[in-house]
Amino acid sequence: MSRAEEGVRLERPACPRASRLFAVPDQGQALIAGLPVSLDEACRSAAILLSGARRPLIGGLGCDVTGHRAALLLAEKLGGVVDHMHGAAQFRNWQAFQNGGWMTTTLSEVRNRADLIVLAGTDASRYPRFFERCIAPASQFGELTRKIVVLGGPAASIPVMDGVSVSSLAVDADRLGELFAVMRARLAGTSTDVAADVAGVPAAQVEALLADMRAARYGVLVWNAAELDFPHADLTIESAVNLVKALNQATRWSGLPLGGNDGDTSAAQTCTWQTGYPLRTAYEIAGPRYEPLLFGTDRLLKTGEVDALLWISAFDPDRTPPAADCPSVVLGRADMRFARAPDVFIPVAVPGVQHAGFLHRMDAVVALPLTAPAPSSLPGVAQVLAIIQGEVNHAAA
Amino acid sequence: MLRLKNGRIYDPANGIDGEVRDLYVEGGRIVATPGPDARIDREIDLAGRVVMGGAIDLHTHIGGGKMNIARALLPEDHRADPVPAMGGMHAGCGHAAPSTWTTGYRYAEMGYTACFEPAMQPINARHTHLEMGDIPMVDKGAYAMLGSDDFFLRMLASGADQRLINDYVGWTLDASQAMAIKVVNPGGISAFKFNTRSLDIDEAHPHYRVTPRQVVQALARAVHDLGVAHPLHVHASNLGVPGNADTTLATMAAAEGLPIHLTHIQFHSYGTEGERKFSSEAERIADALNRMTNVSSDVGQVLFGQTVTVSGDSMKQYGNHRHASPDKWVVMDIECDSGCGVVPFKYRDKNFVNALQWAIGLELFLRVRDPWRIFLTTDHPNGAPFTSYPHLIRLLMDKRFRNSKLDEINAEAAAHSQLRSLDREYTLYEIAIMSRAAPARSLGLTDRGHLGAGAAADIVVYRDDADREAMFAKPEYVFKDGQLIVRDGKVVNVVNGALHAVKPEYDKGIEKPLKEYFDRYMTVRMENVRLSDDEICTCGASKLIPHTCKGRKA
Repeated sequence: MSRAEEGVRLERPACPRASRLFAVPDQGQALIAGLPVSLDEACRSAAILLSGARRPLIGGLGCDVTGHRAALLLAEKLGGVVDHMHGAAQFRNWQAFQNGGWMTTTLSEVRNRADLIVLAGTDASRYPRFFERCIAPASQFGELTRKIVVLGGPAASIPVMDGVSVSSLAVDADRLGELFAVMRARLAGTSTDVAADVAGVPAAQVEALLADMRAARYGVLVWNAAELDFPHADLTIESAVNLVKALNQATRWSGLPLGGNDGDTSAAQTCTWQTGYPLRTAYEIAGPRYEPLLFGTDRLLKTGEVDALLWISAFDPDRTPPAADCPSVVLGRADMRFARAPDVFIPVAVPGVQHAGFLHRMDAVVALPLTAPAPSSLPGVAQVLAIIQGEVNHAAA
Repeated sequence: MLRLKNGRIYDPANGIDGEVRDLYVEGGRIVATPGPDARIDREIDLAGRVVMGGAIDLHTHIGGGKMNIARALLPEDHRADPVPAMGGMHAGCGHAAPSTWTTGYRYAEMGYTACFEPAMQPINARHTHLEMGDIPMVDKGAYAMLGSDDFFLRMLASGADQRLINDYVGWTLDASQAMAIKVVNPGGISAFKFNTRSLDIDEAHPHYRVTPRQVVQALARAVHDLGVAHPLHVHASNLGVPGNADTTLATMAAAEGLPIHLTHIQFHSYGTEGERKFSSEAERIADALNRMTNVSSDVGQVLFGQTVTVSGDSMKQYGNHRHASPDKWVVMDIECDSGCGVVPFKYRDKNFVNALQWAIGLELFLRVRDPWRIFLTTDHPNGAPFTSYPHLIRLLMDKRFRNSKLDEINAEAAAHSQLRSLDREYTLYEIAIMSRAAPARSLGLTDRGHLGAGAAADIVVYRDDADREAMFAKPEYVFKDGQLIVRDGKVVNVVNGALHAVKPEYDKGIEKPLKEYFDRYMTVRMENVRLSDDEICTCGASKLIPHTCKGRKA
C-alpha cells in the first residue's frame, strides 16, 4: 500500500492490501450501541456524549485535511486533546526534530541524485513502491550507480534493479544509535578506542561503511519510525540525524523519514499550522497545550485522563479504536467491524475514493488533490463532524 | 452608506497629504461624495484622527512548508505566547512562528489588510494555499519560487528560446496560483545539492554551467514579457556574507534596466572593513537604489530578540546553522524544485554584528530617498516578527527615539555606523507610501492601498499619538471591504480574506515537455502539481481575485 507515497489511484491497486482498501462499500449504517439509527440521531447522540466529557480525546485522525480541519475545530470547541493513531511513531521523529532539527530530502531528489541509500532499521518493504518510484528509474543527471546498504535485517526483500547493488550489515535496531554515534565520532577524528566491534558490527565493516558514506555524492539515510519500536527510539533517530549533519561538512547527505499512512502527515501538518504544535495538543482555557510525552493515545486512555473517545478512521477498516474504558464515538469505514460495539458508530465516505480533498505525501512537501472517482451517499468525516459541532453548539446555546 | 467624517487623510496614491476630508463607504467600496439626498446609515466622527488605507505587507513569510517547519521546531517559543479561543477567534500561538489564525488576527489588529507570502515553492503550492486559507482577516497572495528548479535550469543551460522560458514561467504562475515570481539565491539552491557551498553572481553552476546572472536575466525578462505587475522578486546571492554588497550591486546591474525588486536588502548590504571584517555598505547600496529607478527593494529590518529565520536559501541557511539559537536547525532539499532552511536566531543588541545589522537596515530606510521604492518589512520572521512593525515605524519617524536606541547597542557597532548623522524622520505621508500606496502599485492592486472612489474600503483609523509605536500598534478602527473588523486594536469581527493571483497569457504547449519531464524524472504527476481555480476556495480563501496581465511581445 502506498497511498500517501504517490497519491491515491483506483486504477493501480499495487498490492492485495491496496485492492482491499479500495474495495469500498458505498452504503453504511449508523449505530447506537450496535442498533441501527439515522445519521442525525447518531450525530445527536455523539454530540451529547462528547460535550458531556471533561476532556475528550479526538484520536485516530485517519482522514484527509478536510477532515483534520473539522476535527481540530471540534476539539477546540470541546476542549479536547488530539493525537493520531500513528502518534507513537510520529513522535519518535518529532522529539528528535524538536531537539536538534535535521537535514532531509524528498522523493524526487532521491530518485535523481541518491547514489548511496542506507536503510536503517528498515528494508522499506512496507513501501514497496519506494524502489520502483525512487531507486530504479534513471536520473536526470546522467548515469547513476547506486548502492543500497541495509542496516538491520537481511536485504532479501529488496528488489533486483539494474545498476543498483545491495548489501546488508546485521545490527540490532536498538543499537543503531550506538553505531551512528561512533561513526560520527570517527568522522570528527575523535580517536574512539574501537573494540573489535561497534554495536555488534565488526570494526572493519564500520570503517568500510563510513568510507563509502564519505565517498557518496548524495547519500540518503532512510528510517521508518514505526519500525524503530523500542524505548527511546527518538534518540536513535537523533543519532542518525546527527550523523547526516556531520557528513554534510564534506559531502551531501540527507535523511528520509518514511511515513505517510492513514493521513498522519496531513494531521500533523494541519495541527501545526493551526496551533503551532504537531498534534498531542489539548485545547485549554489559556490556549493550546502541547505535551508530546503525556498526550499519547495509549497513555491517555490507560490513565483515564480522557473521559470520552472520538475515533476517526476513514481509510482503513482494520484501524479500529484501541480498547477504552470510556464512552466512544467512531467515525469509520462502513465495513469496519468491532470486537466491542462503540457507543456510537457513524459510517463515513473514504477520502480520495468517495469524496474529494487533500492529502500530504510522506515528505509533507507535496499535498495531493484527492478526487472522488466513486462518490457515494455516505457523508465525509468533515460533514459528520460539522453536524456534531452544530449539535454541540446547539446544546451549549 | 457609511460616512467617516473629519478624518485627516493620508492617501499618497491620490496625492492627499493630511487633508481633512470625509470618506463614504457603500457595498464594501469607497464611493465619491454623494449628493445631499444620499442616505447615511452610519457616521463616525474622526476629528483629529489619522486615516490611511489598509496596510499591505509585500514580503512576509506567513505560510507554506517552511513556516510549518519553523512552527513545529519551536514549541518553546509558542509556550510564551499562547492564544486562547475567544470571541469567534481560534486558539493558536503567537510570536516568531505564529499559527495561521493568530497571524491573521494580529496583522488585522495592526491595520494590515493584505499580506504576501514571498516564497511559495511550486511543488508545495497546494500546501501553501491550504495554510493561507486558514489565515483569516487579510487578503493574501504568494510568489512562486523559480531559478533553482531543474526544469528551468535545464532549459536555460540548453539555450532555450526566451519565449519557452516565458511559457514555463507563465505556467508556473498559473499552476501555483501565484501573484509574482521570486528567485532565491539564483541557481544556488540547486548548486548546494551538488555540494557547492557558495555561488557568486558570475560563477558557473557546477552542473548546468549557467550563472546566477543568467538566471536573473531570464526570469526578469520573462516576468516583464508576461506583463506581471510585480517585477522579479530577487533574494540575491550571498545572503548574509560579509562583502556581499558587490554581489548586490552586480545583481541590480544584471537586470539591465528591466524592473527588479531586491528583497530584504539589509541582509545584502555588508562590507568587509574593520577589525571584524564586517561593515556597513548601506550608503553604497542606497546610492545605487537612488540612482536606478528600475530597482525597488524592501529592507528586512533586524530588531532585537528571539526569532526564527526561514528561507528557501538552503545553501546559505546551512552556512548559518552554527549561529542557531536555540541550537537546532533544519535544512531540506526539495523535489528538484527548491530547498529550504530554518534556523532559529536571537538578535542581540550587544552583539557587534547584530547591532550593525540593525543600524544598516535603518540607514537604508533613511538614505533611500524615494519611499515608493523601499518597503517596510522585517522579512517576517527573519529580521523580526511582524508584530514589531509599530516599533520600526517609530524608529523611522522619531530621531530622538532612534538615537536613544543607538545608545543602547554594541558601542563599537554604533561607532561604526553613520546612523546618528542621519536626521531624516519619516512623515506620515511617507509611511503611508511605503506601507500602502507603493506596495499596492508594485503588485498591480489598482483598487487597494488607496482611498479614492472605487477602491475597496480597506481603511485604517489611528489616534494621532506622538508615540508612533503606540499609535501604529493599536488602530482605533480597521475596516476590511467596508466591514468594521478591529476596534481599539482588537478584532471585533472575524472575516475571511481573498486570494490575489495573476493570470498571464502563455502557450499551454509548454505542458507537453513539462509532462514528459515529470513522467520521466519526478515522483509526482504534473497534473497533481497544478491547482485549479476552484481549489482556492476549498483551500480556504473567500474568493480568488484574478489579475489579468498585459503581456509584452517577447
